Amino acid sequence: MKNVDMQMHVRGTSQFVDDLAAPAGCLHAALVTSRVARGRIRSLDLAEVLAAPGVVAVYTHRDVPGLNEVGHVLRDQPLLAVDQVEYIGQPLALVVAESHQAAWQAAALGRADIEELPAVLDPREALAQGMIHGQKRILVSGDPDAAFQTCRHVVQGRLASGPQEHFYFETQRALAVPTEHDTIKVHASTQSPGAFHRHLAEVLGLPMHKVELDIRRLGGAFGGKESTAVWVVAPALAAFLLKRPVKLVLPRNHDIATSGKRHPYEYDYRIGLDEEGQILAYEVDLYQHAGACADISLAVLGRSFLHASGAYRIPNIRVRAVSCRTNIPPNNAFRGFGVPQGTFAIEAAVTHAAEVLGVPAAQLKRKNLAGDGDVLPFGMVLENTNSGRCWETLDARVDLAARHAAVAEYNRTHTDSKRGLAVVPVCFGISFAQTALNQAGALVNIFVDGSVEVSTGAVEMGQGVNTKIQLVAARTLGIAPDRVRVHTTNTSRVPNASPTSASTGADLNGMATKYACEDLLTRLRRFAGQHLGHDDPEQITIREGVVHLAGKPTELRWEKLVAAAQWARVDLSSHAFYATPNLHLDPKTERGRPFAYYSCGTSLTEVWLDCVRGTYRLESVEVVHDVGRSLSEVIDRGQVAGGVMQGIGWSTVEQLRYAPDGRVLTGANAYKIPDLKSLAPHFAVTLLENSQNPNAVCNSKAVGEPPLIHGLGAWFAILDALRSVRRDKDLPSLPLTPEKVFMYLHG
Amino acid sequence: MTSFVLNSRVVQTDQPPGTVLLDFIRLSSGLTGTKEACREGECGACTVLLGCPGSQGLVYRAVASCLLPLGDVQGCHVVTVEGLSEGPLTLVQEMILEHSASQCGFCTPGIVMSLTGFCLASTDFSFQEALDALDGNLCRCTGYVAIRDAARALCERLEGVESDRAVRVATLVELGVLPEGFLEAPSLVGQLQTPEAATTPEGGPPVLVAGGTDLFVQRPEQLREARLEFLSRRRDLDFIRLEDGVLRVGGAVTLESFRLSEVVGRVFPTLRDDLLLHSSTILRNRATLTGNLVNASPVGDVTIMLLALDATLEICTPEGQDRRVRLSEFYRGYKQFDLAPGELITEIRIPQPAPGTRFNFEKVSNREILDIAAVSTAMRLVLAPDGTIEDLRLSAGGVAPVPLFVTGLEPFRGRKPEGETVGLLARHVVEAVSPISDIRGSATYKKLLLGQLVRAHFSAEVLS
Repeated sequence: MKNVDMQMHVRGTSQFVDDLAAPAGCLHAALVTSRVARGRIRSLDLAEVLAAPGVVAVYTHRDVPGLNEVGHVLRDQPLLAVDQVEYIGQPLALVVAESHQAAWQAAALGRADIEELPAVLDPREALAQGMIHGQKRILVSGDPDAAFQTCRHVVQGRLASGPQEHFYFETQRALAVPTEHDTIKVHASTQSPGAFHRHLAEVLGLPMHKVELDIRRLGGAFGGKESTAVWVVAPALAAFLLKRPVKLVLPRNHDIATSGKRHPYEYDYRIGLDEEGQILAYEVDLYQHAGACADISLAVLGRSFLHASGAYRIPNIRVRAVSCRTNIPPNNAFRGFGVPQGTFAIEAAVTHAAEVLGVPAAQLKRKNLAGDGDVLPFGMVLENTNSGRCWETLDARVDLAARHAAVAEYNRTHTDSKRGLAVVPVCFGISFAQTALNQAGALVNIFVDGSVEVSTGAVEMGQGVNTKIQLVAARTLGIAPDRVRVHTTNTSRVPNASPTSASTGADLNGMATKYACEDLLTRLRRFAGQHLGHDDPEQITIREGVVHLAGKPTELRWEKLVAAAQWARVDLSSHAFYATPNLHLDPKTERGRPFAYYSCGTSLTEVWLDCVRGTYRLESVEVVHDVGRSLSEVIDRGQVAGGVMQGIGWSTVEQLRYAPDGRVLTGANAYKIPDLKSLAPHFAVTLLENSQNPNAVCNSKAVGEPPLIHGLGAWFAILDALRSVRRDKDLPSLPLTPEKVFMYLHG
Repeated sequence: MTSFVLNSRVVQTDQPPGTVLLDFIRLSSGLTGTKEACREGECGACTVLLGCPGSQGLVYRAVASCLLPLGDVQGCHVVTVEGLSEGPLTLVQEMILEHSASQCGFCTPGIVMSLTGFCLASTDFSFQEALDALDGNLCRCTGYVAIRDAARALCERLEGVESDRAVRVATLVELGVLPEGFLEAPSLVGQLQTPEAATTPEGGPPVLVAGGTDLFVQRPEQLREARLEFLSRRRDLDFIRLEDGVLRVGGAVTLESFRLSEVVGRVFPTLRDDLLLHSSTILRNRATLTGNLVNASPVGDVTIMLLALDATLEICTPEGQDRRVRLSEFYRGYKQFDLAPGELITEIRIPQPAPGTRFNFEKVSNREILDIAAVSTAMRLVLAPDGTIEDLRLSAGGVAPVPLFVTGLEPFRGRKPEGETVGLLARHVVEAVSPISDIRGSATYKKLLLGQLVRAHFSAEVLS
């Protein structure tokens, strides 16, 4: 089944926050932000802002009725700066005006007298100065020091990966409408109903039952709307103070300049192998470039940390990870959530090692590929991974040996151009690493006409979670999907919801929906039995909207059953709750089972390199990924393709540039995401056949983030081509832009 | 007062002509299907169709509504996604749906419009043209695989369809690509009772707007209230003809009509592909060659091409006098050029190259399409029968404060463009430049890259 929203998307009738008819008297908010990366605020001069045409009000931290705080995990992020600034773009004041344009033009007139302090923009420098978030984490498994002693080959290096702008099409935005009894309703573009609900209530100084947060759909999010609540809370603050509706819509370049990105990392790695190429030991230091506030960085770091061994079996390992506090906007979640970075380091280490051993990287990877029964560094035993089967399926599709030979032959006979390839295996843990977040609620209402309405905590952002939930409900109730409608995500219908992230949206909310539907089904079967004069509800089933008795259809159809049940005073509404079982991680020992299962896949990426100009083209991307028994193949294929392309963008052309003072220089005209013409001529997605997954709803597997890792294949394939030209240089950093490729070849 | 047809409705508005169409559509007309995602023409989410009266009825093109001044749609038919959605799904919508080429949906209306624009403007409904038509529509969700599939399926459905322009709208209505309302549009447009040019606020000299695709990125707030004069209204400047060995291009010619012009294709066959690198379809449909010249960016693609092609500009002074200046003498410093206030470039004159002339354009940017070059260069080369250089012109972009015309190449005449000579040439060019480090690349990179691109001018592919 296809994403049900598409019918509206193609007609332009689907509604996003800015498409809702503006309530009468709606005002518009904008932010005055810091132009200095680090300093002490002496004073703010907002007179010109207030005098600007159309301006209704200007607020500072003094006007916040509740807590001036939006720190997502730690309490370290004021909504509006108090006496210091820590990054360029930090909100100083909130402007409210008659129009969007007037608000932003006025905001640009804000002046701050700031005593500048030296900004720290380099993560290692921050660490040297003791500027870190939280604590350094260390994970040791086996005896890496002893193991390195026994290694035949030890390879080490330094690496870096860059930031990535989410470039969700719909920028950050919210519309806040004051309602009676000092309550407020907020329509927002956010992935985090529960957490943002709390942020709203805290800042406004209201109990949560006076705040209603409603989320219809997001024009893309990719993690960027999970944790930073500034742009949802700010218009609500204005609306609450003015008792008028207020909307805030971030202009694109303001969004790029002030919002968080995928975290850049730096890495020091050392890998040791025996004669046969078996990995014996691996050691990696992860330096996360987190930005000025902790935001969600420690959780991201935790995932990099837990995925440091990538897709490989590594008996002896030491991982050290630290989140460095720097004076840039706080970085946040981005599809993959630290796993791409953790994976990048081990993939580079293995590739580097293969070079030293003189064997194809793919050979080492296959040899060391982790599979069922292998134990991860934090003690979790892998099961039901299908990692080997994904590899073999890919091999059967493409013939890896032949591809290697073809590339080698091309490179032997060409000097002005080269080809390169990379095989990337993916092994991605599913669940929030923070166990507490693995919970979801669903409210299912059946109306007397037989129509069904489902509410969950899941947020639709194009990934098709609503369609999957609709399918789960229809399948469980035994009715056609078009009888079911998934309602908006609303904190008054499903409270305290976890963010829709960590690829768990369908897993958690689908399961809660299933439970609620099963509950209703039990009631209806019991009633149907009585109604049909049979007291054994076990004999009753509902299939395709018809009540069946002992497997045979009866005259009783769904809508009649429902109407009769309601008349007989059967409750047709059910709320259910799901908490993923058996999850735990001991923060002291760094041991446990933080993930319900793993999502695996393997891909082959091939590139063509123009050595004269330093440019390249992706020729072919072949992905095999395990999505379990898919709830919707067409949706899952879309998730795989989209994720891979984002990974390719991160690996290749997506590049942020900063001025020496920390300003972002790359606006929409310079930050380039992949376009249609960047798409490889051959791009195939194969969903692994015959896969089962008892650990998620209807035997499916999560699909949102894991495929992004395949996009690293672009970086490694370009590297492969580059190394066929010369090897007398260190590994370049990620992304491999045409400039870096050129300088590697000619610099 | 600006009058135009918006979907199937006549609109009259006294909003400032400098209001961008996107704001009028969303804020004043309540048509929220058209999305705003960048306001710089970078993403395509706000794409609409603009139907302008032409000799064969309304000529429709997909354009970025975020950079299109309201005043410039006077007398036109503007179609938003709502205008395609009054009845059953159109064929384009069906194909997108069938192939699941939409996820979050924010870019989808723009993609629908661009593909519909393709159906209206394509010469042969080829898959390659469909891909070209989508070169300005970004999507962050799908990874484009499904979009490409939808475009391919659309082309398959259009295969063999009569592509005569004169009956295009009727054909597409019959095929379900356009709703029937399109048939009424010419008569609605015909009923618009307004002067040819939209009236503008008084006072001050008017700001000349050609495509507006750069002006409305640079200073939209200022232009909103400004007095504007639209060059698209100057039909007398919309011509391309070959006369007496000169390709004469009117000052209002858009990049896309230049690129697709039959005569340009004959005289400069490689430009059709080279100009794809300039920008996207939705921008090329509005942007003009002269606009690129007076933007005076040191890295403007058209400028770099025309420098090598030895173009001359014909300029009309405010007094109505004509004067000519060679493009190679037009630029005087960073963003400074030989054009006084009130002067207008009415024509670009490009000498028709002698038979056997080689022209080559090289550009390297971070992303290949719709990105500003780190470095670009163009070359026009005439070889003598013995294979030696008879005439050589070279230009380079992104390496100096002005679009650089490389001088001092005379010593290379009479030498064969190979081996050491090419190396010396490359060194000569590189020594003439002084790039700066910026977001497009470091100075070192640009210098080294320019040397490589000059060498590429003399590759076997170009010389063969």
